[in-house]
Amino acid sequence: MQAGQTMMGRRRFLEMTAWAGAAAAVKSFTPQSFQLVEVVQAAEPIRADERPFTFAYISDSHLYEKTLNERFVRQLERAVADINALDPQPDFVLYGGDLAQLGQPAELKIGAQILKDVKAPIKMMVGEHDWFLDMGDLWKDMFGPAYYSFDHKGIHFVTLMSVNEKDFWTAKGLTPMQRMQIVSGLDDGRQSAFEVGEEEREWLKRDLEKVPKDTPLVVFSHSPLYKLYRNWNFWTDDAEEVQALLRPFKTVTVIHGHTHQVLTNRIDNIHFHGMLSTAWPWPYAPQGLPKLTVQMNRVDPFNQTEGMGDGTIQVKPNGRVDKDYNLWNRNPMKVSARYLNSNGAEDSPAKTTIPSY
Amino acid sequence: MHKTLLVLTSRFDSTQPRHRLWWVKVFILVVFALATVGVTSISKHTDAATGSVPQKLPVAIPKGIPADLFESLIPKDNPLTPEKIALGEKLFFDKRLSSDRTVSCATCHDPAMGFADGNMVGIGIELKKGARNSPTILNAMFNEVQFWDGRAPSLEEQSKLPLINPLEMGMKDHAQVVERVKEVPEYKAEFTKVFGNEGITIDTIARAIASFERTQLSGDAPFDRFIAGDQNAISESAKRGWDLYNGQARCISCHAFNPSNPFFTDFKFHNIGVAAKDQNFPALARKSRQLIAQGKDSALVVDELALQPGFSELGRYLITKQPKDIGAFKTSMLRDIELTAPYMHNGSEKTLLDVVKFYDKGGELNPNLDGGMRPLKMTDAQMNDLVEFLKTLTSDTSRQRMQALKPQTREPAK
Amino acid sequence: MKTRQWFKLSFILIVAVAALTIYGVAQAQQKSAPLPQHPPAPGDGKNLVIQLCDGETNLEMKGVKPDERLSPDQAQTAANKLMSMWFAKTDPNVAEAWKKEMAEALAQKKGSEKAAPASQSEQDGVFTARERQVWERELAREVEYGNQIFHDDKLVGSTNGVSCAMCHPNAANTHPETYPKYQIQLQRVALLRDMINWCIENPSRGKKLDADDPKMRAIEAYIMAQRKGVAMEYGKH
Repeated sequence: MQAGQTMMGRRRFLEMTAWAGAAAAVKSFTPQSFQLVEVVQAAEPIRADERPFTFAYISDSHLYEKTLNERFVRQLERAVADINALDPQPDFVLYGGDLAQLGQPAELKIGAQILKDVKAPIKMMVGEHDWFLDMGDLWKDMFGPAYYSFDHKGIHFVTLMSVNEKDFWTAKGLTPMQRMQIVSGLDDGRQSAFEVGEEEREWLKRDLEKVPKDTPLVVFSHSPLYKLYRNWNFWTDDAEEVQALLRPFKTVTVIHGHTHQVLTNRIDNIHFHGMLSTAWPWPYAPQGLPKLTVQMNRVDPFNQTEGMGDGTIQVKPNGRVDKDYNLWNRNPMKVSARYLNSNGAEDSPAKTTIPSY
Repeated sequence: MHKTLLVLTSRFDSTQPRHRLWWVKVFILVVFALATVGVTSISKHTDAATGSVPQKLPVAIPKGIPADLFESLIPKDNPLTPEKIALGEKLFFDKRLSSDRTVSCATCHDPAMGFADGNMVGIGIELKKGARNSPTILNAMFNEVQFWDGRAPSLEEQSKLPLINPLEMGMKDHAQVVERVKEVPEYKAEFTKVFGNEGITIDTIARAIASFERTQLSGDAPFDRFIAGDQNAISESAKRGWDLYNGQARCISCHAFNPSNPFFTDFKFHNIGVAAKDQNFPALARKSRQLIAQGKDSALVVDELALQPGFSELGRYLITKQPKDIGAFKTSMLRDIELTAPYMHNGSEKTLLDVVKFYDKGGELNPNLDGGMRPLKMTDAQMNDLVEFLKTLTSDTSRQRMQALKPQTREPAK
Repeated sequence: MKTRQWFKLSFILIVAVAALTIYGVAQAQQKSAPLPQHPPAPGDGKNLVIQLCDGETNLEMKGVKPDERLSPDQAQTAANKLMSMWFAKTDPNVAEAWKKEMAEALAQKKGSEKAAPASQSEQDGVFTARERQVWERELAREVEYGNQIFHDDKLVGSTNGVSCAMCHPNAANTHPETYPKYQIQLQRVALLRDMINWCIENPSRGKKLDADDPKMRAIEAYIMAQRKGVAMEYGKH
């Protein structure tokens, strides 16, 4: 340590050792040019039991075993590091499905291992890649029920299993792995359409009966809960039936995975937001794209993490949400409740002048 | 015409024997003049696409550098004139601009060292060490932004900050710099001649220094002659290296080169993991945000943080406050790279081969590692070819200047 | 089975592997079925014979030795003559369409398209005006180089003075948007570059270019640039 010059009555200490631990530097450095300015404090402290609050999301990691693809593993680790670095920490983290690429034990296990490091509580959702090898047996063993609901700070949350498919395999005599392979192909037309299905809709109906209609709803689903593009299953076959169950509620938000892109929609009182993937971005569907979607462009395909990321969701006092897309190679993109409430008239995210990829 | 350009005066360095330099200057001048004779564009078929023939400039544009781009980057409010260039050169070599009169711009940007200093990190007054490697000023005018983290938008703004950084030239503030310059009678007259009524201000000082820097160009390297069609300009090994550069080694993606942008940079910022491994980034980032938010002049706080161990490694983040920029530093240009060891933003790699090996292993893993980084699986022979290629980017002018000139010293100026 | 799953991942590496596989298969095909050679030019060897790219329309140039190079005027006259011979024997509708396209191409000199100016509302301000300028300049250079090759018999390696533009002013009737398609002369599916080479070898009597030859790339760039805005119609004859 060496005493520096004095200025403005302050003593300055410079760490002269090349790699003094960051912690030491963090503690003791005061810039010479430093002059304190008044910082206005936030108007009033927020009580812990009240909104607004924040939760974070990670989705669509599509893990192979590390020996086969180390990159996908590293990218999930990066997302975990992102979320753990948030300050303040989110109330919980939603995992949006497709943790594994082919639903194999080794894939799910390495995923679980990495997600163990998440500091905040984690809510798991299943995707088709996790499911169709053994029809969800292992996933449910590891992470619990495929659909469930919970309440948090006056919001009713529902996690759905929206990627059921009608049996296309028995008649063809397919092995479990063949079935898995077909489902894992986004554009593989041999599979059926995703659906929540009758049994689960019945459960949802009963679950929502207990909830007052002015309680804000936030629904998690892996597939978008509307019909966007059937060929890639950007689609839920019984979307209208599910929406009908949600419509009586004043404020409904759906957060979905599967599409690996910035995706925004509104149908009546239901706001829809897609999640980014940590593995790769999908291009936008050739038809059906909602008008409210401000597309992300893919500026640098060379960059292996371009168009990927994770994000946070701020739940506002009225139960509406601002959604942050934390794109890894770009500034975050915010799609606000105000933007959706005004049907795109206000607070539009910056558009790209370059057509999307 | 370009006498001002290359005759790097020893006037402000009393330790340099003056008589030894005159023939060196003449020699360099002749070489340079020969090298710039017949400057034409890349090849016949480029003319239609690359536009106008330059007007007369007070500087010769070396082969391979688009003259119209050079012209377009001269700020409208700071035109290039021979008198201004000469004044800027004097200031650039003037140690009186530092608090204890031992450090000039040229101390860290020494023409005898490829306009860098050969040290890992810049060393300022009282031998104080910064945290960043001194980059060359050659072709710096073509940068989109200045400094490793891009915290200055122009050469003018860049030149103002080291003057008052406590680890560099250590002046108390810009007023003190102006006072120092005003103490020198001949400056008074020259500033009046160049800037009229504006006289001596921190802005005119910066404009003069920046103008001198804009005349320090590097081009016409063996590689430029190769690109223009001379197959014998570089060795077979270097040609293999050029193929690797564009292919397996993936250099071209960030260190971009084409005749319209012949500087070997994408002008962007990337985290390649040079010193990211041992950093507690979340804590550093939070603390830096606090310090910047609470300080009065955030630009000055950032300038000091940039040279602090730890904080320095936040890189571009200090300016943008965007998580994507944590640990990201500017893609440096590669011309004359052979002359400006050591390498990377902190000087941590000693040789070009070390740098190539660093990339070959895919950089250093950290949560913010740029998506373009991955192991390259090159053989030793391939790595040597790549280094051979990098050496073809050294211009004859820079090499001769380096051999002819003596390094700057730290003898206090009178 | 293994390839199937890899195909499902759309990232560059995999695409590259797939491309290599396809290339390998194509190579294998090539080995098993050599490409048809263009027929030797007919005639008694006393005069230069120029052959159209259909491989069957020939023109004997009286008084020009087989290894002689035509003057540009002679070559243009020969090209016009060959085209009219071809128009006379081909489907009248096709001939009509080709003539129309040539007339249009000659009538309007297409200027190079200027990209829209960079907007500051670009997400993240990703690209600077200067970056865009670099793209434009480099693209213009590539297309311009192609333009030169296209109009210069020596640059394209012609041995008889016939350049591309003599039959294809402004790259008219090159129809790059119709590839890939089955090409009868080749008895296989052809890409634009195959047809460029066919023309170099036949009417121009030059040596064909490698797919990655800078000249081939420039010719492709020039031809595509002339067809900006035309809908893709692969397989159209």
